[in-house]
Parts: sequence; C-alpha cells; structure tokens
Amino acid sequence: MIALKEQFTPANRITELLEERVSPSRLGCWLQCRLKFFFRYVLGLPQSNSPSLHLGKTVHAVLQLWNLARWKGVPAPLAELEASHDALFLDEGEEAVPWESEEERGTTKVKGRSLLSVYLEETNIPFNEKPLGVEVRMEADLQSHGLPNLGGIVDLVRPGGIIVDYKTAAQTPDPRMALHQHETQLTSYALLYRDATGEKEGGVELHHLVKLKKPKAVITQAPPATEGKINRLFRTMESYVSGVQREDFVPSPGLHCSYCPFFAQCRKWEG
Amino acid sequence: MAVKLIASYSKRLGLPGFSSHQFSVSVETELTGVTDIAGESSRLYEALQSSVDQEIQQTGFVPTEAYGIEGKPSTPVARPNGRGEWKCSPKQKELIRQLIQDHSLDKGQIENLAQERFNLSLPELNKLQASGLIDELFRMTGGAPRQSRNGFPPKPQRVGGRQ
Repeated sequence: MIALKEQFTPANRITELLEERVSPSRLGCWLQCRLKFFFRYVLGLPQSNSPSLHLGKTVHAVLQLWNLARWKGVPAPLAELEASHDALFLDEGEEAVPWESEEERGTTKVKGRSLLSVYLEETNIPFNEKPLGVEVRMEADLQSHGLPNLGGIVDLVRPGGIIVDYKTAAQTPDPRMALHQHETQLTSYALLYRDATGEKEGGVELHHLVKLKKPKAVITQAPPATEGKINRLFRTMESYVSGVQREDFVPSPGLHCSYCPFFAQCRKWEG
Repeated sequence: MAVKLIASYSKRLGLPGFSSHQFSVSVETELTGVTDIAGESSRLYEALQSSVDQEIQQTGFVPTEAYGIEGKPSTPVARPNGRGEWKCSPKQKELIRQLIQDHSLDKGQIENLAQERFNLSLPELNKLQASGLIDELFRMTGGAPRQSRNGFPPKPQRVGGRQ
C-alpha cells in the first residue's frame, strides 16, 4: 500500500506544531516576533547563512570537542583544537556563507581561532574538570501543567549541576541584561536539568566570547532558577500555545529587524 | 424552530510550586426562538462564571517550592530497585537497547563504559547521564549522529585520538 503524504498547508503545520515539543529557541523566536516564528516554524523558510553565524557555529563546535575530551579524560591541546577549528571552518553546511571577499573569509577564520585561544586562557573551567554532560539533550513532560513537552540541548553541565551556555557576541554584554535576555532559555535548561536528575541545578553561567579587536571572555553567573522564574516560563509557554492556536502571527518591529533573515518577506506581509 | 445554545466557561489560575489549576463548565440548552439569544447568553455566562469562581477557590493539594526537588520528585524518576527498573526515560532505555542490538555491541563493554564515565551501572543512569551515553554510542557505532545545537555533528576523533 502506498502511503499518501499529506499536502503541506500552514493549517496542517500549525496542528503539528501544537503537538511537538517546545524548545527554548522556539519560545525565544515567538517572544521576539510572531511573524518571524511563522516564517521559520510554520512555513519552514530557510535561514540564510552569514559570516557571523558561521563563526559562532564553528567556535561552538570546537568548544564541544574540548568539553568532550575532558568528559572522556583525554588531552585536548590547543594546537589540536585550532586544527579542528580550521577543518570545521571549511564546512559551511548546506548553505554557503556569503563572503564578501576571500579576505573576509581569512580574517573571520583568524578571529575564530583568536576567540578560542583567549577563551581557553580566561575561562573559569579548570582543564582537568570532568563535565557531567556535554551537548545534553533533555526533554520534560509538562502534561501535568497543561503544557506541551519542553526539550532542549544544553551546551555543558559542570560538576555541581552548573549549566553553561556559550554565546558569541560583537559587544561586551551587560550581565544583568544578558541574564534578562536569555532568561527563557536558562530557566528552560534549569527545569530540564531538574527533570533529568531529580536535583536542583547549582546555577547557570553564560560564557560570552566577545569578538572585539582584542577578543575577551565574559562569564556571567546566576543562582538556580526561582519559583517565580519557572512560573514566568510556564506563563510564556501558555501564551505560546494559545497564540499558535489563534494563529496570532503579527510582526513586532524593533531593533532585531536589522538582522532578521525574513525582513524581505515581512515587508511583503499584508495581514 | 428550536435553537441550540452551547456555552462554556473556563478559568486557569497559577498556584505556588510551579503549578496551576483549571476548571471548565459547559452547558447546552435549547431556545424556542432567536430573539432571546443575547439575553440567554448573558444569563448563562453569569451563571457559569459564578459556578467556576465558587469551585476554583478549592485549590486542593498545592505543592511547596521544595516539591519535586528534595524528597519525592514531581516527575517520576525511576530508581533501580533490583527488579530491572531504569532511572532514565523509557525512550532512552529502548534506544540504548536498540543500539546494542543493531550493532551487536557487547553489553558488558557498554556496562563498563557507564562505569568508566559515570561510576554507575546502566540502570542507575539518570536522563542526563543516559543522554551522554547515547551520544557516545552513536559516535562509537558511526551511526547518523544526532544534530547538535551548533549544527555540526560532533567529530571527537579530532581531539585526543581514537577511543
């Protein structure tokens, strides 16, 4: 018997979305702009690659290798990490990076290497520290709260249940604002950790690798999520579910529009 | 002509301990004509709201902030009890078994891996530890690696030599 694939329609996709688990990035996209969410998660439009995105992904992947090496108890000398960086930098994925010139490609590669070596010099993570988990995917069943499952991938869990998320940034982050901007993501990870281990997390850390002329690492620490923060997350998830059900996909013009990959589609949207 | 009027009223309230409770009441009635739809709707709304408000004041069991964190967990975290129960999720347990079976892995070797990485037996691994072990099994078997957040599949052989 031949199975017929159901024809794609936004309505079908919305029904699917409501049954799928929610990730912090979906919630973040929803909170930033509902029309962007529509383009990305309902229509599934591809997100264009960029030099900055490619640099971030490459650095992220090398830090993952460094964390995995410590998890396995094998050495990870800087020279090998740099070689991995260069190899991963060549892999641009499905969509080629729109480099303006070969020179831009070269300087971005050097910037990535430099970010890594500065981070490894300045990080608060001892080189002999064995992580509890690296790139840990977790999912929590929130049915008892009337919510969909929450799922996410945590960059690193340090001993004591310290949850770490890596970011690359063009500017030095303000600690208070960074924690505010990433609250949904960090609280989601805290909840996922509690569900996965039955224990409260030791705290959360944002590790920013800042792409300045002289790169630097900025580590922002925060205590475990409070009951109030978890309530805020639940209310956010409720708003997400009811908004998707209502097909409430309206634009939220703001500073973020300047780097939105769907700017052109947004300008054509007529409600 | 009989006209059917269906009304429902629902209210959800947040409670301490990361919880909420919700109560809904629905009613279906028949009208003899269309002239009193607005009046009947208004009457039903008031009656349903009053009923929900009265009942929802009974919160029943409300968890404390420590509920699910210390002592009894809110999400069941299975403890190995000597009867073959695993602490990780049923999906993770099934995936580990599937990988062992599909790739004819030595179960003893995988047990040793769990001991080496976590100092625990396979059934004692919690969801977080099982997730790490599953990724390691994918890497060992060269199967389709699960997509990582950075978009690259992990390539651990580049650092620290082969395992």
